[in-house]
Amino acid sequence: MLLKLSFSSMRKSFKDYLVLLFGLTISIAIFYMFQTLAQNKAFIESNAMISQIVFIFHVGSFILGAITVFYIFYATSFMLTLRQKEMGMYMTLGAKKGKITQLMFFETFFIGIISLVIGIVIGIGLAMGVAELFMWQLNFSGEGFEAFYISSLTTTVIFYIALFVLTSIVNAWQIGRKSVLNLLRADQKQDQIKTNGLKTFFGVFFALILIGVGYYAMMNMAEFKQFGVILATVTIIPGTYLIFISLLPYFIKKLKQNRSLNEKGINSFTLGQLRFRMLNLTKVLGTVAMLIALGLGAMTAGISFYHNIEIQSSMFHANDVVVHQPDNEDKEILEAIDFTEENVYHYKADGKSVYFLKEDLLNNPPGIKKFTDQFELPKTVRVDKALPDEKYSLYESENASGLPEDWQQALSTELNASYQMFGDKDIFIYSTTAYDKIPTDELQVTLGKVDDFTNYLPHLEKLNEGQLQLAESYRGENVEVVGGKYSNYIAFQAIASGTIFMGLFLGIAFLMMMASVLMFKLLSSAGSDVSRYNMLRKIGVRKGLLVKSIYRELFLLFLFPALVGLVHVLVGMQMFSFIIIEPYAKIWIPISIFLLIYGIYYWITVQMYKRIVLPKEI
Amino acid sequence: MNQHVLHVKNLNKVYGKKSENQYHALNNVSFDMARGEFVGIMGSSGAGKTTLLNVISTLDSATSGTIEIAGTNITAMKQGQLADFRSEQLGFIFQDFNLLENLTVYENIALPLSLQGVSSKKIKPSVHKVAGKLGIEAILEKYPVTISGGQKQRAAAARALVHEPAMILADEPTGALDSKNAKSLMETLVHLNENLDTSIMLVTHDPLSASYCQRILFIQDGKLFKEIHRKNSRTAFHQEILDVLAEFAE
Ligand SMILES: Nc1ncnc2c1ncn2[C@@H]1O[C@H](COP(=O)(O)OP(=O)(O)OP(=O)(O)O)[C@@H](O)[C@H]1O
Ligand SMILES: [Mg+2]
Repeated sequence: MLLKLSFSSMRKSFKDYLVLLFGLTISIAIFYMFQTLAQNKAFIESNAMISQIVFIFHVGSFILGAITVFYIFYATSFMLTLRQKEMGMYMTLGAKKGKITQLMFFETFFIGIISLVIGIVIGIGLAMGVAELFMWQLNFSGEGFEAFYISSLTTTVIFYIALFVLTSIVNAWQIGRKSVLNLLRADQKQDQIKTNGLKTFFGVFFALILIGVGYYAMMNMAEFKQFGVILATVTIIPGTYLIFISLLPYFIKKLKQNRSLNEKGINSFTLGQLRFRMLNLTKVLGTVAMLIALGLGAMTAGISFYHNIEIQSSMFHANDVVVHQPDNEDKEILEAIDFTEENVYHYKADGKSVYFLKEDLLNNPPGIKKFTDQFELPKTVRVDKALPDEKYSLYESENASGLPEDWQQALSTELNASYQMFGDKDIFIYSTTAYDKIPTDELQVTLGKVDDFTNYLPHLEKLNEGQLQLAESYRGENVEVVGGKYSNYIAFQAIASGTIFMGLFLGIAFLMMMASVLMFKLLSSAGSDVSRYNMLRKIGVRKGLLVKSIYRELFLLFLFPALVGLVHVLVGMQMFSFIIIEPYAKIWIPISIFLLIYGIYYWITVQMYKRIVLPKEI
Repeated sequence: MNQHVLHVKNLNKVYGKKSENQYHALNNVSFDMARGEFVGIMGSSGAGKTTLLNVISTLDSATSGTIEIAGTNITAMKQGQLADFRSEQLGFIFQDFNLLENLTVYENIALPLSLQGVSSKKIKPSVHKVAGKLGIEAILEKYPVTISGGQKQRAAAARALVHEPAMILADEPTGALDSKNAKSLMETLVHLNENLDTSIMLVTHDPLSASYCQRILFIQDGKLFKEIHRKNSRTAFHQEILDVLAEFAE
């Protein structure tokens, strides 16, 4: 009988259960998605550029696990608040406590199992979709990655079943523990929190110390290594929570104490709403801030690694394009490229050697990258050493002078007159008189610079194919790398793309988790706001004003964790400063992407919230 | 100028859509209320009292008929105008207390003034004045959860009175009060009615509370059934009300 009642009442508050189911499902999907990477050790290890990344990964997985545990407990306790009033009613009508306890246990467990099934299906789909998207974007084969991964599936199922058994027991115990009166009046209670200046001061003080230590560890990650990752984790997480717990209630209280602000229009209500749920909110906002930091951090790191490829490949080459003996097809491609500088140099080649024309080189001296002693990126300079002699040789030779160092670099790196192109031929620079005596046909090489190297990757790929064939004809063997900036770029990309992939994949997972936590928190409490908004309508508050109040309330809730999360990310990027050359270059890209998505997400939440709480127009 | 604060003509309210079970909650109700009058509405449970109050108070729409309040035809007003009208001209005391539990009693009472843009300097004396009259000064800083049912009722009354509206609509305001508190709330209403010329419409089951009114309308099954005026003492009026109720019961 009671079971029947409980099902019918679940049907009645279907909307609330939908919110609950949605929250649980997303959490499960993301946990699974994360596990597809975390459990795939071979994939991580072969794709992480440094061992710290593997370790950071494990710490991230631990944090996600911990957040999931809290989240599930929180979400299922929402179920308790949904049901307790009715359970109290059953008890006043004579239902036995044991029966009620049992009922609560099964209801919680039942919802858990349903969401587990849906969640895993969604998780597999998500893992597949997100992985495909990034692999395609990154040109990354992602060998070894599997969206449907049995070991992750098992872990997810075991983890969640254990969690649901636990939360079901807790819910049952909670119901059993409360008196009938408490159950009946459950929806009237509020979080009363006491704040005082001294407590706030010490709270903020300790929070800042903790976060400071964590920041220090992150900035000096190269020295601290794995210990640094652990240190940062155990300081920054509690520090973040402490900031929210101590500062936010104090802040709202101060705002409320400002009489002329509080008593203006609907402000007292807006602030009252915030204050009313502060205790719950501080924890949720702390969690959201951490998830933003992790998600945005992973994404930013991924994008930084991506950007790093270009910086790294620009380090050695002043020229973006080098093409030996362009054929007609190559010439067409070169036409299509918008060069900021383009030079052609002539040379001849015979069976043993390659001879560059000195006057060509001196007329248009090529740029090279010059390393300084300082720890900074090499600068482009033009070779300005004179070449007074008749003949010079790149390698040691009896009948030619030795080539000055800058010219050596210009020939072998910029003009790619190297083993990679010409095999074991000798490389000379001859003045016109000597050069004219060489009986073979004259050949040429084009050097060029462009504004944005990455804009021309498809062109460069085609040109590279031609150069590989040319090198094969000289070297008489299969050639895979021919030299030049593009070759470098491809090599660096191959090393980094696995790491980038992991960064983006995890970034998305964390941000989705963040969205789910925040949305769940806001929507799960919206139900109890309905009567308040209805009341306001009755005493004559215009709808526009109610909407404004909602926008403001949610704005504050979205703002604080975003701020804290952003600061964490900005400092956190220091972790990679020893491997990424410019960790902050183009950081505006991931941040603006994040802000855009977060903004849209804020707007959607407001709309959903409005639909739940605003009274229907008559 | 119109002598009537309220003019109701041929008012009908039907619940439920055409296709569904319809319920005729108000049936051709017409009456007037003079400016500064104190009118009581009585009737058995389910007679349509709350419905009448909701329609007059612009919270619910009428199916047909006209309602004019202070010379304005509210059946022709837009949503936003109705909201403004409510916040300026009307004060409500509901059957359920309807305090906002996330605000202190003080903030609850201050809300109508805040909404009208009154400065917080002026709000404070107004709130204390009305709280003093209703004897709830001591609980102003408390939250609704921590006060008694009667105190909630008085806080709700204070919120309805604080902006000195043209008309107060009260649905069973004394329902949860003991006789002493009920008496003091009724006396506050009478005081307001006499000194500030506030028109009051009061729904009640309690003959004693009703005896403070100048006129009582009885409704039965959505129709106006009887109307009595107070001519002399309150005690005599009380007796008269009891007689009508007895007549009902037959
Ligand atoms: N939203 C609604 N939909 C359908 N019927 C309704 C609705 N509200 C009220 N009714 C019906 O209209 C009739 C009048 O209800 P109303 O609330 O006005 O009664 P009342 O006189 O205030 O009673 P009470 O003294 O018990 O408060 C009742 O029969 C009720 O069932
Ligand atoms: Mg009623």
